[in-house]
Amino acid sequence: MTTTRRNLLKFVGGGAAGALLTPAPWRLITDTALWSENWPGIPRPARGEIRARFTHCTLCPAGCAVRARCVNGQPVSLTGVKPHPISHGALCPWGIAGHHLPYHPARVRQGPVKEALAAVSRAITQRGAGERVAVLDLRPGRTVSWTYRRAMAAIDDGLYLAPRQPAYAIDLTAAKTVVSFGAPLFDGWGTPGNVFAARANFRLVQIEPVETRTAALADVWLPIRPGTETAMAAALAGEITIAEAARETGVDEQAIGAVKEAIASGPAVVLAADPGSPLMSLNAKLRALGRTVVARREAPVPDAWKKAAPATEMAAVPDGGIRVLLIDESLPGGYVPWQDIQPKLAPNAVVVVFSSSSEGYARHAQYVLPAPVYPEMAEDIGPAIDTVAAVFRIAAPLIAPVVPVVNPGELVARIAGLPQNDPLRERADAIHKAGRGSLLSYADGKSTSMKEVTADDFWKTLNQGGCWMDDTGKKAAPAGLGKFGRSGTCPTPHDDLPLTVVAAEVRRGGLESPLMSKLERESNLRMIANRVALSPADARSNGIENGGRCVLETACGRLSVVAMIDAGVPAGVVEVAGGPRMADLCGASQRARVVRA
Amino acid sequence: MSANKRYGMSIDIDKCNGCGACMMACAVENNIPPAPEAANDRRGVTWIRVYKVDNHLAYPERRTAFVPVLCQQCGHDTPCVHVCPQQAVDVDPETGIVGQMPERCLGCRYCMVACPYHARYFNWWDPKWPAGMEKTLNPDVAPRMRGVVEKCNFCHGRWHAAQQKAAAAGQSEIDPADYVPACVEACPTGALRFGDLNDSSIEVAQDAQRPESFRLLEKIGTEPKIHYRSRRDWVREIASAPRPEGKDGLRG
Repeated sequence: MTTTRRNLLKFVGGGAAGALLTPAPWRLITDTALWSENWPGIPRPARGEIRARFTHCTLCPAGCAVRARCVNGQPVSLTGVKPHPISHGALCPWGIAGHHLPYHPARVRQGPVKEALAAVSRAITQRGAGERVAVLDLRPGRTVSWTYRRAMAAIDDGLYLAPRQPAYAIDLTAAKTVVSFGAPLFDGWGTPGNVFAARANFRLVQIEPVETRTAALADVWLPIRPGTETAMAAALAGEITIAEAARETGVDEQAIGAVKEAIASGPAVVLAADPGSPLMSLNAKLRALGRTVVARREAPVPDAWKKAAPATEMAAVPDGGIRVLLIDESLPGGYVPWQDIQPKLAPNAVVVVFSSSSEGYARHAQYVLPAPVYPEMAEDIGPAIDTVAAVFRIAAPLIAPVVPVVNPGELVARIAGLPQNDPLRERADAIHKAGRGSLLSYADGKSTSMKEVTADDFWKTLNQGGCWMDDTGKKAAPAGLGKFGRSGTCPTPHDDLPLTVVAAEVRRGGLESPLMSKLERESNLRMIANRVALSPADARSNGIENGGRCVLETACGRLSVVAMIDAGVPAGVVEVAGGPRMADLCGASQRARVVRA
Repeated sequence: MSANKRYGMSIDIDKCNGCGACMMACAVENNIPPAPEAANDRRGVTWIRVYKVDNHLAYPERRTAFVPVLCQQCGHDTPCVHVCPQQAVDVDPETGIVGQMPERCLGCRYCMVACPYHARYFNWWDPKWPAGMEKTLNPDVAPRMRGVVEKCNFCHGRWHAAQQKAAAAGQSEIDPADYVPACVEACPTGALRFGDLNDSSIEVAQDAQRPESFRLLEKIGTEPKIHYRSRRDWVREIASAPRPEGKDGLRG
C-alpha cells in the first residue's frame, strides 16, 4: 500500500476524532486547572516547627485554659486544655479565634502617649478642691486591679472605680435545681466547660421574656412579662400568693407552683442576669448560702498591697467630682454606660482610655492609647462567678505586640510614683509563701502540692501553662447579699416609648475576630450589633419591614438600626444586640421605640 | 465499593446551644477567610453552619432548636459525585469520606444544585485575610481560590496527620484519638461525636442506632453518615422536610 498525502491526512484526522472518544484529552483539560487556578494571589501558610504552648484566655472572666498550636512560635489554632478541672477543655467561639485579634484591621495602632501624660500631670497639679483622680477598671479582681488600687491610694484623693464585683461564687455541682432570672447560663455566664460539665446534675428553670439560647435548652422556660421578675421572686419566697404572681407575670399558676416545689425539694440556687441584682438575695431565703452560694475566695496578695484604695461604684461619686479619669478598657468587661459617667466629670476633665478598639469609651475620651490585646500581654484572670476555689492563672503572652502599645498598669503606676516591679511575680511569691493549695501543670497534667514546689518553679510553671488552685477549707456563706424584699418596679408603659428593651445575647464589646462574620453576616446565627428584633404586630403597627432600616430611640438618644421581624418576640418588646453603642443607648433606659428611617 | 472505615458523626440537637464554636473552629482549621463586604448568608463560606429552626408557632409557644449542618457524607448514590463533570468529587473507599479537589473544580456548581443539604459553598471572592492575619493560617490546609466549590471533608488534614503519626510509629491503623475533626473537638457541650460507624463498640455508632436518631431527608436514600438525634417530635419532623400545608402541588 502506498502512503499518499491524503491517507496521511485521513489517519491524523481520524486519530484526532477517535481520541476525543477516549478519556485522555478530557483529563488533560481537567488538569490544566492545576496551573490556571494556583495563582500567586492566594496566601501560602508558613511552614516550620510545630509545637504546643499553653496560656489562658483573657477575653472574659472565665479565663479558660488554652492550648495553642504554634508554627515557628506563631499561634495558628487555639483549643481548650482537656484535663483542666474547671474549664474542662472547652472554649467559646470568641476564644477559639482569639489569636486573630492582634491583626484586627480596626485595632487602635497608635496614640498620643506623651501628650496624654502631660495633660494628666497638668490636670493633677491644677485640680481644684473636691476634684479627684480616678481609675475605672472594667475587669476588677486582677493583679493589675490591685496596682490601680495601690496607685489611687498613693495619689491624694485617688478613686478606684469598678463595677460591683459579687462577693459570692456559685457552686453548680452542689445544685439540684437552678432558677435563673435571665442569667445566660449557656451563653457567656461563668466558665462554659464548668457549666456544661455540671449540666447533667441540675434541672434548669429559665425565667425571662424571650427565648434565648439558655431558655431554648432549659428544662423549663417561663416566658415572663418583662419587668415582673421581682413579682415572680416574691412568689417563690412566699411573700405573695402564686395567684397574684401569675396575674402580674403572665405565667401559668401551675408552672409557678412547680418551680416552688422544685426549689423546696433540694439544694437550689437562684441566678440573676446582673450578679449584683437584689434577686440574688432570694438565695438566703432558700437556705442556699454556704451550700450553693459560697463566699468568693481570692488568691493571697503581698501584705504591702493591703493599704489600697477601696472599690467605689460610679453612682457613689458626686457630680462633677472627677478631674482625671483613666479608663482601662484593654480587656472586655462590665461596660458602664457613658450616660452614667458623663455627669461625674468636671467641666475640664481629662479622660484617657487604654483600649484596642475605637468603639467603646474611645468615642468619648480626649486621649486613646493603644493597649495590648490577647494574647500579647502577661495578665492574670480573677476567679469566675462559678469558680468556688481560689485560683491564680496567668495569660502568658504567645506573641510580642504587633503594634507599639502602652501597658495600662505600668503607666498608672508611673503616674502615681509606685516602684516599677513586676506585680504578677510579687503576687506569685506571696501565694508560694502562703504554701496552700496545689499547682496543676498543663504540659503533663500533674498536680503538685505547693509545699513541694520552689518559688522559681512555681513562676516558671505559671508562665508555661499552669494553674494554682486552693479549694481546701469549709465553704463559707457570702456576706452582703442582703435580705430579700420586693423592690423595683415594673417599667410602666409610656406613650412615647412603648417598647421594653431586652438584650438578645451577651456581647462583650472590644475587638472580635474578623471570622465572627461566619456567625453573623454569613449565617444569621448571632445578631449583628446594629440589629433589633420586633414582633410582627409591633412591626406592622409602625410600618416596619423585615430587614428595613429604622431608628431605635430611647431617653438617652437615637441609633440607626436594621429591624428583623420575629414571631418569637413578644409584643411590646424590642430585642437588641449588645455592644457599647447599644449599652450607651439602652443601658440607662429600659424603654424605647422603633420608627421607620 | 465497600469502605474499610465509614467515618460519621452523631449530633445531639438537644444539647446544641447554637454558640457557633464549631463554625469558628472549622474556619480556623480549614483556612476559610472572613467575609468580604458583600458576603451574606447565601454567599458566605461556612463548611459547617448552625441553623436556628423553630416550631413555626408564635410567642409564647415558639420553641427553638439549633441544627448544625455540614456535608452529610452521603454513603449511597452520592449526588455531588454523580454530577461533577471534572471528577473533582470522590468518595474515598478507605474512609468513606466524600472529598473535594478544588484544583480540579471548574466552578460549574452542578454539585451545589445536586446537593440536597445545601452543604456546598462557592468561592465568590479571592480568599483574603486582613494584613498580618495570614500568619495564623493552618499549614496543613491549602487555601482555595476564587471560582471553586468547597465543603466539609471531616478535616482531611487531620486525617493525614494521624496517618503520618501512625506510620512513624510503625502502626497500620490510626489511633482514633488522633483523628477528631475541629468542630467535634471545639464543641463545648459535647453535642458532636465522631468516629467509625462500622465499629459498633464506640459511642457514635451506638448513637446512630438510638430510637430518637434520624438523618436529614432520609427518604431520598442518600444514606448520610451524619446522624442527628432529638427527643422533640417537631425537630425530627423538620428533618424530613414536610410539605408546607396547602401546597400539595409542590414537588420534592
